[in-house]
Amino acid sequence: MIEVQNISKRFGAVQAVQDASFIAPDGHITGLLGPNGAGKSTTLRIVSTVIRADRGNVRVDGSEVHADEDAVRLKLGVLPHASGLYPRLSARENIRYFGELNGLYGKPLAARVEELIALLEIDEFADRKAKGFSQGQRIKVALARAMVHGPRNLVLDEPTNGLDVMATRALRGLIRKLREQGHCVVFSSHIMQEVAALCDDIVIIAQGRIVARGTPDALRAQTGEQDLEEAFVKLAGDSMERSA
Amino acid sequence: MMRKFWSVLRKEIIDNLRDRRTLLTVLVFGPLFGPVFYTVMMNAIVNQQISNRDQPLKLPVVGAQYAPGLIEYLKQHDTQIEAAPADPRVAVGQGKQDVVLVIGKDYTSAFTAGNPATLQLVEDASRQSAAKNVRRARNLLDAYSREIGSLRLLARGINPGGVLAPLAIEDVDVSTPRSRAVLILGFLPYFFLFAAIMGGFYLAIDATAGERERGSLEPLLTTSIPRTTLVCAKLAAVTAFCALSLALAVVAFYFCQGFIHISQLDITVNFDPRTAGIMFLVAAPFTVFIAALLTVVASFTHSYKEAQTWLSFVFILPMIPAFGLMLMPAQPAWWMMVIPTMSQDVLMTSLLKGEALNPGFVAMSVGSTLLLGLILAWVAAWLYRQERILG
Repeated sequence: MIEVQNISKRFGAVQAVQDASFIAPDGHITGLLGPNGAGKSTTLRIVSTVIRADRGNVRVDGSEVHADEDAVRLKLGVLPHASGLYPRLSARENIRYFGELNGLYGKPLAARVEELIALLEIDEFADRKAKGFSQGQRIKVALARAMVHGPRNLVLDEPTNGLDVMATRALRGLIRKLREQGHCVVFSSHIMQEVAALCDDIVIIAQGRIVARGTPDALRAQTGEQDLEEAFVKLAGDSMERSA
Repeated sequence: MMRKFWSVLRKEIIDNLRDRRTLLTVLVFGPLFGPVFYTVMMNAIVNQQISNRDQPLKLPVVGAQYAPGLIEYLKQHDTQIEAAPADPRVAVGQGKQDVVLVIGKDYTSAFTAGNPATLQLVEDASRQSAAKNVRRARNLLDAYSREIGSLRLLARGINPGGVLAPLAIEDVDVSTPRSRAVLILGFLPYFFLFAAIMGGFYLAIDATAGERERGSLEPLLTTSIPRTTLVCAKLAAVTAFCALSLALAVVAFYFCQGFIHISQLDITVNFDPRTAGIMFLVAAPFTVFIAALLTVVASFTHSYKEAQTWLSFVFILPMIPAFGLMLMPAQPAWWMMVIPTMSQDVLMTSLLKGEALNPGFVAMSVGSTLLLGLILAWVAAWLYRQERILG
């Protein structure tokens, strides 16, 4: 479970995130939805411990980001905005490397890597250098790498970016499977349909503020719009007009 | 913690050994550039020296028939008498000949009468390249003149010993063969330091700016490896490459020696296996320092290209003391031992000269270089704990 409590972050003159709070429970898919530059990535980077919030706190399965970064890192799997594989290492080596950095070695590591290669259908290109991978292959390996230490919580920053229809569908299937296994999945997207198709809870973020959160049905009810996209435009748009 | 250190170190080394450019730099270009450049340069110098000394002096003579005795003397002293050009002054003026000897018609009569017999040595004093042959010709003529003088005195019953030569001047060259070799080998330490820098150059960029540019830094920082361990392992990988390149350069120079015909210069170079080993050990602390410097500089940059530009300045670093010592030759001093690159330069030069190393100097050089390396490493570790490392 990931609990985000009143976090704020400023970069120079830009208030990237302002007093944002939400809870992403286990066995749920939580979607962070917002236009480009709304603060989705910043929020997820604070959760994934690479940047610190100016105010507020994040707890992952009870461990606080500020107090115990290491514990949080072990409980969290992160797929950042850029997949960031090492091009001269094979898929398997990329996954193994992160396993070792998270404290897995020897047989348990080998077994875990094989498990992920099977789960994510990486077999075919497991021993090829990452340099020539397609976007879809890259995302799969980056996801395997994020999951190698068996974290209960997963943070995915725009995972479907650049994927074709088939790859997107496969990824959605995988994310659902992870939910069934009881994982807590948080992912960000600026694509309405994707969030609507996948998420149990939606957090709408605009201009660094959380403007609405709830199940898709609740959001429809809140805005009085049947179409989720209309609901989103209304919620996100309202916030923009207010600030303008 | 140690296991994670080894994981990063192993990954960086394997990853970078797969990069052809890095591999070529570490194994070939870095270590071989200096020694090969040196061998070629040295042989060029050696050949020039030998050709000047061993070839007979070619001396065109006008009127050789008037002075058969002189000509015979010259021929006996390794001179090749050549037919004179039509106009000696023009030939020398145009640089076709270095020097021409002109013997006048009245030489024979003056010589037989015991009067000073006039000879003309046509030369162009403004031409440096001719100076050596002019000097050789003049020395021969002087020697012949003294010899004839001595014979004439003897014929008059006088011992010529202290009369013709009241002064006996001997040249005492205090430069030992080794110290002369060092004049030529003075730049060798620079090439060794150059090899060390080249060795770590691309790995330092790849492990910092490259990691950021590829987007792999952010996921890396979400793993549970402590930042200090991560930075130390990266530094260790860069140091390993620097040291490898340095070691190869020393070995390469050891073998290149065989191709330099240095013995013909009558000089010896102190570069036996033991000296080579000490040379490597003296320079080894520099690899730690330069690895940390390369890493810190590259960590401030945002892309591979930017890092390359900045790191190019690092190459000038070892050149500053090398040039400084060339322009202002100085005895090794304590203050020099505090400055990395300069202390290694001075110590390696001493080794080449065959001088005993001052243990205090060595300790000072090793200590100060490692200390500065550690400070830079600390800066790198601090940088990696900052958010802005993500760029």
